[in-house]
Amino acid sequence: MLNYPLVFGFIVFFVAVTIVITWLTQKSTKTTKDFYAAGRSTPWVTTGLALVGSYLSAASFLGCAGDIAIFGVDRIWLAIGFFGGYMAVLLLIAGPLRNVGSYTVADALHRRFPDNKIKLVVMIATVVISTFYLVPQMLGAGLLFEMIVGWNFILVTVGLGILMSIYIIFGGMKGTLYNQLVQAVFLFAAMVVITVLGLIIYFDGSIFKLFEVLSNVVPPGLAGKDPAVAAAVAAAPNAQAAVQIAREMMPNAPTAMTIGIQTPDMLSQISTVLALVFGTAGLPHILIMFYTVPSAKAAKKSVTLCIVSLGIFYLCTIFLGFLLMPEVYQQLVAWIAAGKAGIAKNMAVLEISGNIGGQVLMAVGAAGAVAAILSTAAGLMITVASTISHDLYKVYINKDASEKQEINIARVTTLVMAGVSVVLAVLLKSENVAWLVTLAFGIAASAIFPVMLLSLWWKGLTRQGAIAGIVTGLVVSSFFIVLLLSGVPKFMGLSTAGGPGVFGVTAAFAVLFIVSKMTRDYGPQVDEFMAIAHKTEEN
Amino acid sequence: MSTEPQCPASPEPATGRSIRTRFFLSFGLFVPFFLFYMGTAIIQTPTLREFAMTPALGMPLGLLLSLMVFPLSWLLIAVYFAVWK
Repeated sequence: MLNYPLVFGFIVFFVAVTIVITWLTQKSTKTTKDFYAAGRSTPWVTTGLALVGSYLSAASFLGCAGDIAIFGVDRIWLAIGFFGGYMAVLLLIAGPLRNVGSYTVADALHRRFPDNKIKLVVMIATVVISTFYLVPQMLGAGLLFEMIVGWNFILVTVGLGILMSIYIIFGGMKGTLYNQLVQAVFLFAAMVVITVLGLIIYFDGSIFKLFEVLSNVVPPGLAGKDPAVAAAVAAAPNAQAAVQIAREMMPNAPTAMTIGIQTPDMLSQISTVLALVFGTAGLPHILIMFYTVPSAKAAKKSVTLCIVSLGIFYLCTIFLGFLLMPEVYQQLVAWIAAGKAGIAKNMAVLEISGNIGGQVLMAVGAAGAVAAILSTAAGLMITVASTISHDLYKVYINKDASEKQEINIARVTTLVMAGVSVVLAVLLKSENVAWLVTLAFGIAASAIFPVMLLSLWWKGLTRQGAIAGIVTGLVVSSFFIVLLLSGVPKFMGLSTAGGPGVFGVTAAFAVLFIVSKMTRDYGPQVDEFMAIAHKTEEN
Repeated sequence: MSTEPQCPASPEPATGRSIRTRFFLSFGLFVPFFLFYMGTAIIQTPTLREFAMTPALGMPLGLLLSLMVFPLSWLLIAVYFAVWK
């Protein structure tokens, strides 16, 4: 069990550091450029690490490894899927987007097609995506700390909302960035230390030795379902004996290295991967971070740093998940047998942290989960605040708004958004809302990525095509999510199990292409737009 | 007075030819990555399970290919920055 005062001490220290950072950055947040884009002068290293912090949620820190520890090799694609999307961001989006955008995702499209309708539809997509991403973060934070240290759910979510608001209201994008940086470094270090130490202590640093052990292990997700096996495992003198007993009692069961047991059918797998790859390249809270660096080249460098860091992080989560399985086998089987799969998934990393480094490392792990939640939620919150104040208020409500008024609206939006997300988290507490993140990726892949990609690379895209594509992506992806949640397994012969990715992306690209071929409004200065988007890069 | 910041004066606006070159470089690296990535995901499915379970370097081929996604991406990034001027 976690040492409550130690965990509390770590978290208080961590939060204190982030508040000091916010106070320090507050002085340099005066204009809209400062508030939305951190003055567009942030070093690429800072933005690169902040991207890592913004992307890594508690699901990445605790959930990926926990899932692998319970079910085995089939679950590694959760980690790999989250990673792959950044290649699309680097190679296709980051540089040109930095050149043509200013504060929000809608800005880049508006620059090519100066039509307020574009801003409106992108703003709606941004709010939907970010909200659906934010609510599970808040809810997950409340549940996680209620589960592992017994803290009050509402107090945790309210506390998180207040902290987010402080970061953004006082620190703007700069405060958010530097807090994400600190959180990313903390998360990264915690993950690497726990994994490397675990590999050295338990498997002499050899992944082949680890794989050899795993090729005999019955995954706890299977062993825990058999009451007789669970009882025998619980009575075993140690983890190694428990693994052996489970294998002897289930000689024909798949091993932790058996592929194709937990994965879905081919179309569902394709759909999931499409959503993860193209969804990452369409997530507004990721895309707006490229406006914080001084040039397109700096944007690309920041994504590269992010890709390398995320690669190392997710490789560690995979190996950590594998080494967790045989080492905390009895505990995992006991949780599964008791119907506590959620606890098993989230506590596994903390358990192994305790085994490796005692209560201190366990508390570090818990503080790492807080860091993950804070950094992701802050990025989402400022994205919504920016698009509401810049794309809605400034365009539709008060065209003559001063810079101060615009920032104030963003701050008020932050407070409202914090309140709404806390209320939604409390209302949905008993629901399994992990699917909201899938929805966010699916909608981002369908509504934002196709139009962003084609507007930056294809002169033949028209204003009508862009609007039709965004709306189509939004509607089709939402429709398939509704079907999935309603328990409809197939629609017109197509499986809905993999989420909306393949359907939304295909429909959006088809509509973008067809409508663009039928219309001729390519933007008033399409050649100039392309020349700026792909201009020679300064250092 | 919230004037939207414009891009600083471009060192050199891109020409049609340079945009095409960049297009081929960017998509020329992304498409192979995507095909490898998607192919690796597909062989993990029940349909191709036998193939994915083929032993390779002390682990199933599906796992080896999945882990290869990381170094492959780093290699492509190195090529990207080496070629892109």
